[in-house]
Order: sequence, then C-alpha cells, then structure tokens
Amino acid sequence: MFDLEMQIHSWSDHLRARGNFTEADINELESHLREEIDDLISAGLTPDESFLISVKRLGNLDAISHEFAKVNTENLWKHLYIDPVDNVAKRQSNRDIALVVIFTLLAGTLIKIPELFGLGFNDPGADRFYLKNISLFILPFVAAFFLIKRKADRKTWSTFMVTFIIAALIINIYPSFSPYNTEILSSLHLPLLLWLIVGVAYTGREWQSSQGRMNFIRFTGEMVVYGVLVWAGVLVLGMFTMAIFGAIQVDAEKFLEDYYFIYGACAAVLITVYLVEAKKSIVENFAPILAKIFSPLFLVIMVSFLVVMIITGKSPFMEREFLIAFDLMLALVLGLVLYVISSRNNQQPPNLFDYLNLALIIIALIIDGVALSAILFRLSAFGITPNKLAALGENLILLGNLGGLAWLYVAYFKRKRDFINLEKWQTGYLYVYFIWTAIVAFIFPLLFGFY
Amino acid sequence: MNVSKDLIAASATPLILAILKENDSYGYAIIKRVKEMSENELVWTEGMLYPVLHRLEDQMLIESYWSKSEAGRQRKYYRIKESGLKELELQKKQWEIVHSALSKTWSE
Repeated sequence: MFDLEMQIHSWSDHLRARGNFTEADINELESHLREEIDDLISAGLTPDESFLISVKRLGNLDAISHEFAKVNTENLWKHLYIDPVDNVAKRQSNRDIALVVIFTLLAGTLIKIPELFGLGFNDPGADRFYLKNISLFILPFVAAFFLIKRKADRKTWSTFMVTFIIAALIINIYPSFSPYNTEILSSLHLPLLLWLIVGVAYTGREWQSSQGRMNFIRFTGEMVVYGVLVWAGVLVLGMFTMAIFGAIQVDAEKFLEDYYFIYGACAAVLITVYLVEAKKSIVENFAPILAKIFSPLFLVIMVSFLVVMIITGKSPFMEREFLIAFDLMLALVLGLVLYVISSRNNQQPPNLFDYLNLALIIIALIIDGVALSAILFRLSAFGITPNKLAALGENLILLGNLGGLAWLYVAYFKRKRDFINLEKWQTGYLYVYFIWTAIVAFIFPLLFGFY
Repeated sequence: MNVSKDLIAASATPLILAILKENDSYGYAIIKRVKEMSENELVWTEGMLYPVLHRLEDQMLIESYWSKSEAGRQRKYYRIKESGLKELELQKKQWEIVHSALSKTWSE
C-alpha cells in the first residue's frame, strides 16, 4: 500500500537534512507539495502518481536548496542555541535548560557533601576518595538528563539507579592498601565504564542497534570537542574574576576554589551535554573534521618513527610508561579512524581517507607488534603486576579492535564486504570495552588482594 | 517558448507584487496565477519563487502569515504592504519605459 503521509514526511525530512532550509521554509514547501498533490488527485490521478509528479514538479532538491541557501545566508552560520520553532519545541528547550541548571546545582552540592564529614578537597586521604568517585558525582545526572529526554519508563529508571548505586557501593567498600595500584586502576576505569552506561541512556531503546551505538560514538566525539571549549570558558572566567577582584585587594581564590570551579565543572559537563544533544545534526560535526586534518599528519609521524626505528635498530625500551604510551598511540589511531568513519556515508565508494585509515591502522599494528613482543618478554621475566596486566590488556583489546577494522577494510576494498560491516564491528566492540573496564574496575582489586 | 532565465528573474518581483495587490495569496496559487496570466508561457519553479518571496519579505515589501485553508491545511499567505505598493508603482514605470522603447524600435 502506498502511504502518502509517510512519503510526504520522508520528503520533508530529506529537505531538513539539507540544512539550507528553516523549519518555516520546509512547512511552506510541504504545504505547496500537498496543494499540488490534491490538485492532481482531483484531476483523477492516484495518490502515488500524484506524489511522484508533484515531487518532480517541485524540482530538483539540489537546485531548490541552492536557491534557498542564497537567501538564508545567516542560516549557513547556524545558531547553536536554536530558536525553537513552535510552542512544543520551546517548552522542551526551556525544560532542558532548567534541567541543566538543576542538575548542575545538585551535582555540585553532592560534591560538597563529603566535606561536611571531614573529607574536603584538601583533607588528607581525600584525593583518592575524589578521584575514585568523581564520575559518580556527575555521570548519574547526565544519564538522568537523557532518561528524562527519552521519556524512560520506571523500570529503566530503577535499573539505572541500581546500577549506579551498586557501582558506588562496590568501589567504596573495597579496601585499599599501599601502593594503591588496584584502587587507582579502578578509579581510572570506572568513569569509562559509567560513560558506556550513560551511552545506554543516550541511545534509549536503540542501544542494541548498530546505528544507535554509532550515534553514541559521534556524541562522545562532539562531547570532547565542545567540553574542552566550554571548560576553557569556565577557566577564563575564573581567572578573570580572580584578577579583577585582586585589583581591589579582595582575594577571590577561596571562593573560586570552594565553589566556582566545582559548580563550574558540573555546569561545563551538563551544558556540553545539552549543547551537543541540541545541535546533533544541525551543525556539521567537529570531531570528524579534526580527525581528517590530523590523520595524514599522524600517519607521517608514525611512518617516520617506524623508519627511524628500523634504520637505527633500536627497539622501544619497554617500561610500563612506554607501554602506556603505545596504548595511547593505539587509542589515538582508533579515535582518528573512528571519527573519519563516523561521518562517512555507507553507500559512498572508497575514498582517499579510507586508504589513509587502512595505512594508519597497519602502521600502528606493526609498531605495536614490535612493542608487544618486547613487553611480553619483560612480563615473563619480572612477573605480573596489576598495572602491567591492565596496560597489556588494554593493548590487546585495542589491537583486536584495530586488527578487525583493518581486516574488514581490506575485505571492503576487495568488494567482498560492505562498509556497514565495519560500522557493525566497531559498535559491537563497545561490549568488549564495557566488559574489560568492568573487569579492571571491579575484579582486579579482588584478584590482586586490593594492593 | 522558453523565456530566458534573466527575464524571468527580473519580472518576478513586479509580477508577484501585482498578484498580491489583487489579493493575499500563497506560493502554490501564485505559480498557478502566473501560469494562467501568461497563458502557460511563464512557468515558475518553486526553487525560484520562494526565495524571491522571502527576499521581498526581508525588504518589508510584503508580509506573511499562516492561515488555514478550507480543507484545514496550513498555508503561508503573503500580503502586500504599503511600501510594496509603492515599489510596484516604481517598477511599473520602469517597465513602461522599457516597454515603450522596445515597441517603438520594433514597430519601425
């Protein structure tokens, strides 16, 4: 059956995706299309015929959108703070802003509460407490923001709350002994784990679909870019406050340290979440642009590193710090590859950046292979520590991720597989990260006796 | 016969203003009216009409409002403003100059 309404909607969505139209333009054009269709139907055509002819008469979308772009020039410099089009959108946007304010105050106050019990920022032993819990102060609110936006049911809410509470309990009940290796590892992995849980809230019911998870990956990239900008703004404002009050001999440092930066940090996170969520597809994503600028440069550096390593015959010196450096290298390469992929249309034929991606992955795999062979030797000679095992595990997981991508890229270039397989592999791999961060955060302390 | 693009573009403003002077109208009806008046010689595309309408609105020559049709559909109507009427008079004079010059040369 031909569903006229659906066809019209998908047509106007198509216009929307062009980005050259304001919402009012689209409504106007849609109403135009409907007039045309009605006329044709009353002239005796069937709905599907009328639809086809009307769309054809409205003309090439490219041409229309080009003409509109000339008029809506300010639209090309899009406003991030979107002017809501109708009352519903306006109410929703107001509600979101209210949520940001309320959650910022709640999160900031939550951070201040331990101070009442003698665990202020500057008290002895507090640094590890805060390091461990910092993500628990903020991320539940981010999750709540999305749960409210996605209109989650009560069951979902309770699942999330229970998850966060269990995580908080475990991490704080575990004992910890000097040199606190396992505790610090848990502290570092818990935020990543919780962020993935936030991802489930972000994608809502779609978290099982590859598309939904890919959106979460895009969201994460934009979060980082915008978060850095917003945080820089908070810092500048803070320094400015200090300087200007310094001029009248009032020391604002205590206020800034005790309140401004704490609430500022919470606000930075929640504002970023709001902004990225609001802007979504309206503005070109930033992370892919950065990735495209830096991936060729990165490739050059890595190739020269490999060449120098081979010529001088020096194998990388295998200390833990260097292993972490190689982990970072893999993570960076993964990030670059991932964000180039994220902005890509699945139907596009292979382009330059795809080959660049594959080259980047292969070089990274070679360098890491050399590094790993060295560390494995060391590990067997000096025994296992939690840090080494964690670093090694990370390395293997990233290696698996990149290896899979490389393999799928080759298959894709040979036309044996579609590009969608790469995306599926990557979004499926999120489970591996989830499990691994959970293991390091919760199982490692048990394994290594909390040392 | 195909009227050249430049000519269509140049004549769009006076035509739209003249149509709106008759009564308020919306995009689809304007295109139909132009077709009718020109006996199917002038066929405007939407990609051309709406940007012109929006530009005229920006120039405060016309204004728009949403209203429901008899069938209950939302339509964006355009209404000519005082300044639009003046602009139309101006355009009329300009076109008359062109027209009389052309007719003189062609009749000779």
